[in-house]
Amino acid sequence: MSIAVAARFAGRELRGGLRGFRIFLACLALGVAAIAAVGTVRAGIQAGLDREGAALLGGDAEVELTYRFARAEELAYLNEIAEVVSETVDFRSMAVTENEERGLTQIRAVDDAYPLVGQVRLDPDIALEVALEGQGAVAERLLTDRLGLAPGDTFKLGTATFELRAILEKYPDNAAGGFGLGPRTIVRTEALAESGLIAEGTLFSTQYRLDLPDGADLQALEDQTQKQLSDAGLRWRDSRNGAAGVEEFVEQIGNFLILMGLAGLAVGGVGVSAAVQSYLAGKTGVIATLKTLGATRSTIFLTYFLQVGALTFLGVAIGLIIGGSLPVLFAPLIEARLPIPAEFTFDPRPLWEAAIYGILTALIFTLWPLAKTENIKAATLFRDAFGGTRTLPRFIYILATALLLAALVGLAIWFSGNAFLTLWTTGGITGALLILVLSALAIRFVARRLRKPTRGRPALRLAFGAIGARGGEATAVVLSLGLGLAVLASVGQIDSNLRSALADELPQEAPSYFFVDIQPDQIDGFQARLADDPDVSKVETAPMLRGVITTINGRDANEYTNGHWVVQGDRGVTYSVEMPEGTEITDGEWWAADYTGPPLISFSAEEAMEMGLKIGDEMVINILGRDIAGTVSSFRQVTFEDAGIGFVIAMNESALAGAPHSWISTVYAEEDAEAQILRDLASTYPNITAIRVRDAIDQVVALISGISAATRYGALATLITGFLVLIGAAAAGERARTYEAAVLKTLGASRSRIFRSFALRAAFLGLAAGAVALGAGILGGWAVSTFVMETSYRVIWSNALTIIGGGIAASMLAGLLFAVRPLAAKPAQVLRARE
Amino acid sequence: MGNAGPVDILHDIALTVTPGETLGLVGPSGSGKSSLLMVMGGLEMATGGTVMALGQDLTTLNEDQLALFRRDNMGVVFQSFHLIPTMTALENVATPLELAGDKEAFAKAEAELAAVGLAERVDHYPSQMSGGEQQRVALARASAPRPKILLADEPTGNLDETNGRAIMDMLFSLRDRHGATLIMVTHAPDLAARCDRVIRLRDGRIDRTKAAA
Repeated sequence: MSIAVAARFAGRELRGGLRGFRIFLACLALGVAAIAAVGTVRAGIQAGLDREGAALLGGDAEVELTYRFARAEELAYLNEIAEVVSETVDFRSMAVTENEERGLTQIRAVDDAYPLVGQVRLDPDIALEVALEGQGAVAERLLTDRLGLAPGDTFKLGTATFELRAILEKYPDNAAGGFGLGPRTIVRTEALAESGLIAEGTLFSTQYRLDLPDGADLQALEDQTQKQLSDAGLRWRDSRNGAAGVEEFVEQIGNFLILMGLAGLAVGGVGVSAAVQSYLAGKTGVIATLKTLGATRSTIFLTYFLQVGALTFLGVAIGLIIGGSLPVLFAPLIEARLPIPAEFTFDPRPLWEAAIYGILTALIFTLWPLAKTENIKAATLFRDAFGGTRTLPRFIYILATALLLAALVGLAIWFSGNAFLTLWTTGGITGALLILVLSALAIRFVARRLRKPTRGRPALRLAFGAIGARGGEATAVVLSLGLGLAVLASVGQIDSNLRSALADELPQEAPSYFFVDIQPDQIDGFQARLADDPDVSKVETAPMLRGVITTINGRDANEYTNGHWVVQGDRGVTYSVEMPEGTEITDGEWWAADYTGPPLISFSAEEAMEMGLKIGDEMVINILGRDIAGTVSSFRQVTFEDAGIGFVIAMNESALAGAPHSWISTVYAEEDAEAQILRDLASTYPNITAIRVRDAIDQVVALISGISAATRYGALATLITGFLVLIGAAAAGERARTYEAAVLKTLGASRSRIFRSFALRAAFLGLAAGAVALGAGILGGWAVSTFVMETSYRVIWSNALTIIGGGIAASMLAGLLFAVRPLAAKPAQVLRARE
Repeated sequence: MGNAGPVDILHDIALTVTPGETLGLVGPSGSGKSSLLMVMGGLEMATGGTVMALGQDLTTLNEDQLALFRRDNMGVVFQSFHLIPTMTALENVATPLELAGDKEAFAKAEAELAAVGLAERVDHYPSQMSGGEQQRVALARASAPRPKILLADEPTGNLDETNGRAIMDMLFSLRDRHGATLIMVTHAPDLAARCDRVIRLRDGRIDRTKAAA
């Protein structure tokens, strides 16, 4: 055997052109293009975030403090390590217009050095220092539109009055990408002096942006700062991870979409496999002849392997060109829609990733039919010597396919860096394909059984006969349509259930408002206003501080808990004398009302279990720069689902009462009364910030909509590939249908009757594929809703019917497109051609 | 008439077949015998002239009308059987009866299969049967609706001698029992000899007519 001989044979066979391989190329190119495009967009966003890291942060590095300004010695240290230090203050408040219109806003109070890095863009185009001079303010359009403010108008923040000088179009330190509870307002810190908003105990954070000398060692500076200011309770960030949260979010969404792209590629693989099988079926005579002439099994295998290999490279190359260039071509459009910077270029890494996925998928799906060429006997050329191709390929090929599959999964884990997500997704795809294959078998079995009851209705019986037949289109249609529709159905079910939980169910049990920053001397009056209101059903209040858990049992908290979310950043901490009403202690005991001993901590039971805490553990919590060491004395049941007050950490009163703090309150009221309550409380206590829960929920719903839209686009790519496979299957079945139509016409069937039979066949197959996909979708939706989202689940029938309707429409479109020629063919020509 | 446009195959054919007659069409390959049979069955349209069958001018009918005419009056047997691969033997035989709306389609089909010796193979698919068996199914399918005209295009051409002889015996016995007109294309002189009349075609023209001995 010689590769050169096989290559020559392969070359001769390919001289016939790419006819019969269009679907092969389209499936592969589309799958690779989708993955390459997602990868290129993700790489573009990452490049943009890297480039703009410092601007997103507002400096080379940032030290953040909660609830307080830096002390003199801390400032001195920061000034020592940085060339310039800029101080900003960040907090939420209410902007109130002269007409008493109120809107929640996220305030950034700045100094003269702001912004250290990047530019602020205003409308009208004036300098920031001019806009902020005196009591000047700039605010995002979302806020000014909501409050009906125009430049020149005045509004209040707390008790201080400000003049809106310009609309804030763009500002550099916007790492959250615009996602926050309130639109941004920028004022000068000095202008807030009379507002009463930045008092001891109110909820604010301060950021010290550092302009570091060129070439500063960021890691060394971080280590040094953490050591030097170890009791400050600070948070360090620098340009290496200027938008760490966004970057991680983009990375995760990108990974997820690429894995969804793998689902598309798997469907494409079905089409690729079908195309190769159909091509090889037409080559049986050639293969038998070659064997008669002395070609060995391996020569035959190599001849066709090389052909498929060449076509694979062509398909992958087309996919890479499309997938790699689309994001670059549409860069201005995409960049304009993204709230974060992006830099789209031809990045080789995502293209390599897509190419490897494409090649491996093609190999996995074609090795089996290629290996079966070895089973074709030379005797096939002689009459009645058919058969033998239903046997399995040699073990070596089965093993090779399994190894390629393992390699694909292994590489996917390596590329995504997330074994959990990859294994679940690839496992899901494999499981779904397996379910679809079994469903196709079941559908064929049922169709065969249905032939008998439909005797006397030839169109129907013919349809069931064709669906049930071995080698028919049932498997291809169910596989190709099923996976795309199943993903779409799952996304639809999960999304609709989550939306319904957030938008319909949550507001019914959630409070109307969160009020924060209620000062200790205001809490009694606050409660009195609400106590007599018949529209208020419940008011919960609790003192609130913020603190960072720094150590547990003497060890770094982050290390002790393996980076649990509770120890990431600062958390709300409360104190209480009595055990709050409805509290359920799961372990340990609540402290006595007159307890004044060393600090005791009551911890949320679920989080404690996740963090590996037990009663008696020692914990240091840094509150306002002061370390408070306490002992865990009890675990409590805390629920966050109903959006009420839920503190992970509660302490005894004497441990915290001396610390400056404010109160938080949740108010449950009739929707009609909400506006009046807000007006009354806000005018009496202008420093209090009210967060309308419905607005917060809307924000979350909007974010979820974005994610589910992205997922839907991914599913759509899978569906388009599925439709291509469907077209391929229909095209491959055209010859059989032409023959069938010719025989039926000879036996006396009219064209309309044959057409009805073809239409019924396509409709039933589409219905079956849709139903299987819906079943998988409902199962997936239920599992994710119940176990991951922990929300209630119900079948969303509008979505379900769309899936089934889509299945029928797609199947009929493809089936009937390829029914035209069979119906038009002259029976004599068709039948004599087969003589 | 393929994609290359119409081709003149048959010329000056004037032929009358009387009811109940068996007519053999013979001639070298390419002489037009299969084309003549197809024109007679309305499977191929003649570009000129008229084709009258049972008082009906087939050249005036459209494709669907021709299909209905065949359903009610004709049975066709091919050299390559042309069974529908996705149907069992029983379903293949029942199909023309079903198309005609016969409520007894399956009972009649079963009886017809029994008549050709395939009572035990009713649920088998064509791919599970030998060539001889497939042709017997095709024969049963053609005769089940009791057509007035049976057309057979080299019905033994793909079979060995033993199977070929058995099929011919069945074909003639069915014709004798049901009294249909049989028009058959064949290369085999001994089969032609069993016909009432034999017509030899050459270059699309009737070369010679010979009455049976």
